[in-house]
Amino acid sequence: MMQLEQGRISSAQLVMLIIGFNLGTSLILNPGWIAKGDAWLAVLAGLGEGLVFVSIALFLATRFKGKNLVEINDLVFGSYLGKAVSLAYLWYFLHLASTVLRSFGDFFINTIYPETPLLVFIILLVLVCASAVRNGLEVIVRCSLILVPLTVFFFVVDTVFLLKEIKLTNFLPVFDIAWQEFLRASHGAATFPFGETIAFLMILAFVQDQSKVGRRVILSVVIAGLLLSAIVARNTAVLGIAATIQSYPSFIVVRLINIAKVLTRLEIIVVTSILVMGFLKVSVLYYGTALGLAQIFKLRSYLPLVFPVGVIMVILSVFLFKSSLELFNFAFKIYPYYSLPFQVGLPLLSLIVATIRGLP
Amino acid sequence: MKTRQTCFLLFLLFSIIVVTGCWDRRELDSLGIVLGTGIDKGKEDPTQVQITVQIVKPGEIKGPSGGGNGGGGKGKPYLNVMNSGEAVFDTIREFTHVVNRRLYFSHNQILIIGQEAAEAGVGKYLDLFFRDPEPRLNTWVIVARGKADEALETNAELEQVPALNIAQLIEARAATSEASAVDLHDFMTCLMSKTTAPIASLLEVEGEGEEKIARLMGTAVFKKDQMVGSLDKTETRGLLWVLGEVKRGIVITPCPGGKGTASLEITRARSKVVPEIKKGTLEITVKIKEEGNLGGQMCVQDLTLPETWTALEKSKAEVIRQEVKAALKKAQSLNTDIFAFGEAVHRKYPALWKEWEAQWDEIFPNLAVKVSVEVKLRQTGMITKPVKPE
Repeated sequence: MMQLEQGRISSAQLVMLIIGFNLGTSLILNPGWIAKGDAWLAVLAGLGEGLVFVSIALFLATRFKGKNLVEINDLVFGSYLGKAVSLAYLWYFLHLASTVLRSFGDFFINTIYPETPLLVFIILLVLVCASAVRNGLEVIVRCSLILVPLTVFFFVVDTVFLLKEIKLTNFLPVFDIAWQEFLRASHGAATFPFGETIAFLMILAFVQDQSKVGRRVILSVVIAGLLLSAIVARNTAVLGIAATIQSYPSFIVVRLINIAKVLTRLEIIVVTSILVMGFLKVSVLYYGTALGLAQIFKLRSYLPLVFPVGVIMVILSVFLFKSSLELFNFAFKIYPYYSLPFQVGLPLLSLIVATIRGLP
Repeated sequence: MKTRQTCFLLFLLFSIIVVTGCWDRRELDSLGIVLGTGIDKGKEDPTQVQITVQIVKPGEIKGPSGGGNGGGGKGKPYLNVMNSGEAVFDTIREFTHVVNRRLYFSHNQILIIGQEAAEAGVGKYLDLFFRDPEPRLNTWVIVARGKADEALETNAELEQVPALNIAQLIEARAATSEASAVDLHDFMTCLMSKTTAPIASLLEVEGEGEEKIARLMGTAVFKKDQMVGSLDKTETRGLLWVLGEVKRGIVITPCPGGKGTASLEITRARSKVVPEIKKGTLEITVKIKEEGNLGGQMCVQDLTLPETWTALEKSKAEVIRQEVKAALKKAQSLNTDIFAFGEAVHRKYPALWKEWEAQWDEIFPNLAVKVSVEVKLRQTGMITKPVKPE
């Protein structure tokens, strides 16, 4: 496997990449919105739950230092069963990447390009991601070093511009929803996006300083969670109850910026940050899928797989959902349960089996 | 290797030509920029909706020089187009049969709703403006007494385009705080609240024919999405005191111990709505803190003496209290919670609210509201005593 990827990344670079990955689609589909005014609390609670998921994955990673997901599965479950388990993971990554792509396409069509076909956005984004994946992990990571701070900067600037629109009363009363709803919202946030960090099991092996990996991953997920909670809180503070029916709160919120009629119509800034975060998320998943497939089929390079995987992603993203509504339903009703086996079930099973078999 | 690089560079250069265009390109000269939209009930068939859009004619907008003998300068710099149809969306699309340019709503400043349409309920008309990506949520919502299309025909000497004129009237309302300013986002938030009644600016058309002008009148009050009444200027400021939206304005009070009046300017105001349960019944206290200056006096007393100064403060507070009371009386008689008292109770007593929410229509008209006003007069202006022989 080590021949497949020559690049090595530092643990500081890993932090940026994980933050970008977690922000990814969360700027489009507001996690925790089911909890209405308490959405930001739901995201924080989701962060707690998500950290449990991430820790399980980290236990696995530290137990098998320097090995990635496919190799771990081969060791734990044996050559044949291990490959099947790996394929299941890869399906999850591929499917997730397609869903992310689709939500991007839908976002662009609904907001600024109503007449352009969906396929155009999806193909263009996949082409950019494919180029990043072909160039290897180091390139993706370096992109994140520029793009993530830029996005955070844009968020801070937008929020400062919105200060006069913020009504803190929108948060009151706190906990005005049934606890089942709150749990549903926080579990949603735990599986999307925090639990998805499981995809980094494909990458953690390439980090130079293996001893720091665990702490750095936890740190970056926590930072991402706090950022996300701040974004959601900002949206609620500005939009109030209307945030629950807006399709894209993070986008619509920026449209309300009006500084002395001079600074207005800044939404393209958000569109840019949404686009680059999506690029990071898709690239990581895309890379994981291509690399994993190459390992399973014992290829000498994953490069020949980049193109076919891209094509499958494009096709899946177009045909998985009939409408943006179906995507919404999937993301908030089905996904929180569908993703559980991949985010917790399989890693936990691997850990148990590894302990019983006394591996490594 | 060299040739490969050159080819690649050429390819990149050529792609600039091809890549700039896309499906959603909009050239400036193909856009009909809409500055104002009016919604009325259909003239012939009242079940239909009649939409009026005001489009800028960029060629007609000229600098102040006028040019005198420049040909064709007489035309209006805007074009009003009207169309009726069953639904808002299809009526707007059908403008393509009359106007050669594709209408562009991103710069729409105002949304005027005719009173008749407002009384029938505006929810069905507004949905498109929330849903479509082109219109923006900071469009002003206005109700016109009479027809919306007439309001868009009013004269605007200084501004050339009536819609811009009206939008600026609303932005300038802060000078008196006697008219409300509500944008689509505020309106949407109120529509989504179970108890808060939406409001909108109210506009009246004065004069006849070419001399028609638009005048801001106060506030239109809605129950759910139907207009049920209106507030006059005094009541509107009463409402804005409670909402904390009074920016500036003039309060006229009698001069203490004499004939004539004093005009007191408002420079700053804050408010707080405090719900309390006293002996089992709900009571609401509105606390208003205001600061202002002596702006003018039409009497001969020396108002700058400490005792007259405090007397002035007291009578100003009383005027403000009366304004709030007037707004309260009107709102309670219309049974519309325009002050968002319900939401304030909801925030403070979330558990009890579940029970009250459904009965709010019975609770609100008889709600006991206390108004406490704290007034501070700060400055006297460029002179102290009035101009008269010592």
